[in-house]
Amino acid sequence: MTEFRRIAVFGGVYNNAPALEAMLADARGRGVEAVFCLGDMGGFGPHPDRVFPLLREAGVLAIQGNYDQSLALGKTDCGCGYTDPRDNHFARISYEYTFAKTSMENKRWLGGLPAHRRLRLGTHRVLMSHGSPRVINEFLWESATPTGLLKRFLREGEADVLLCTHTGIKWHRALPDGTHAVNVGVIGRPENDGSTNVWYTVLTAGPDLSVEFIPVHYDYETLAHQMEREGLPPEFAETVRTGWWTTCLENLPAKERSRAKF
Amino acid sequence: MRLPLINGIAAPADAPRAPFLRLSALWIQITGTWCNLECVHCINASGPADPWLKPVRPEVVRRAIREAEDLGVKEIYFTGGEPFLHAEMLALLGDALEVAPTTVLTNGTLIDEAMADALAALARRASYSLEIRVSLDDTSPETNDRVRGAGSFSKAVAALVRLNERGLLPIVTATEIASAAHAGEGMYERFRRFLIAQGIEKPRVKIMPVFALGRLGREGDPRLTEADLAGFDRGLLQCSESRVVGDGGVYACPILAGLPGARLTEGTLKESFADAPLYHPACVTCVQTGMTCKNG
Repeated sequence: MTEFRRIAVFGGVYNNAPALEAMLADARGRGVEAVFCLGDMGGFGPHPDRVFPLLREAGVLAIQGNYDQSLALGKTDCGCGYTDPRDNHFARISYEYTFAKTSMENKRWLGGLPAHRRLRLGTHRVLMSHGSPRVINEFLWESATPTGLLKRFLREGEADVLLCTHTGIKWHRALPDGTHAVNVGVIGRPENDGSTNVWYTVLTAGPDLSVEFIPVHYDYETLAHQMEREGLPPEFAETVRTGWWTTCLENLPAKERSRAKF
Repeated sequence: MRLPLINGIAAPADAPRAPFLRLSALWIQITGTWCNLECVHCINASGPADPWLKPVRPEVVRRAIREAEDLGVKEIYFTGGEPFLHAEMLALLGDALEVAPTTVLTNGTLIDEAMADALAALARRASYSLEIRVSLDDTSPETNDRVRGAGSFSKAVAALVRLNERGLLPIVTATEIASAAHAGEGMYERFRRFLIAQGIEKPRVKIMPVFALGRLGREGDPRLTEADLAGFDRGLLQCSESRVVGDGGVYACPILAGLPGARLTEGTLKESFADAPLYHPACVTCVQTGMTCKNG
């Protein structure tokens, strides 16, 4: 298993090439040995194919998200796991746009991504997943993920550190036995706190694991203009400009929803 | 035990079965079928008089919560009957919230100011989310009360407002029984607009299909066969990842809790981890609609 001392990890690009570019530049300045992406390259934003050259040029080591899996398999929906009619309405628009605008070559690349990655960060055994280790589109929200479940994932996955994304909001829980679970957040969409920046995570080996959440500021106004020019819903551009989610809210648990504007 | 029509049947040996994959949701049938309302479409024919399924003893609930934690449960639900009729409901809810995010399915009629304060205090103390799901079947008091009983609408709406004022963001659960003409997205939007008009700025709505069971069950309702399930992923059914602790044992399904055919064991949760028979007419609805009793 490859061993590292310091890595950057991000999730959920959601077609946001400007944020990806800014994040990769930021990570280069922090002395990381490798950059990992936990999946979901598409959805939400404009011009899906602009993301892939950036990922390849930077040598990003990716795993597959549910969006990537759906695109690669030619499925009719994103498989995000929404149950609410309003969420599904916007998810459909976003998926159909991304499906139509992603090249076959990039779909094939997404289809070849692994479901998980394992590595060593110093002495820590790290397991990377998109949703959860058991289900690609399982939501692991901070207020809805029991510590007992995390212990089980870590035990069954023979890992000391579990990394995931999928929900769009970062969190870190240090468990009493010295193990860790981290939702690394997403760089494609602000995290519903009224700030326009997005987030990624830097992990550093040591006697204990160091987990730093790094804010990324990028040219969100350009992105919002591109979304409008591509005819994507004005609700999406509003999220980019305000930092508040306007869609895909119904899966938020009570605590996360109570901090939201909508 | 007196069971409602059709529900006394045992699971036939040749019934199709759903695999058990994992324990995601622990349901606690806390009050059995004891309820202060008597809705015409109630899935387990709950009511105030002579409930056919008894409440669960508090020590059984606590044992199940501890076992579920060790098994890596993801969420806990309390249902009934009306859970807030149970004398130890708040204490047991507190125990559940120490282990996992927890949801209470209620008709809302017992959530007065004091109860709303107590729930808000519990939610503030907990690391995990507390979800209160209040049942309402129409946005018109007359239509709703024809299904749920006189006065139930105004009490449920008052509860929604009280919970919302305290930041609890209740979820309204509506069945399609009273709103068949507006089912689907139309019904959903109508509830959203209604809640916003009550001052609830973050409306949360879950629509449920109506099941042919409880008071609506009839002899001769169709059952699933292996042929019906050809090509269907049975792992999508909630009985593949949920278990229900109720009086008399552990059951495969929240809406069949208490029925002999759905009982998997009289013992522990772990002993219930086996394939579940898809023997009941309600199983047809789950397969056809892809519904789940969970929040999402």
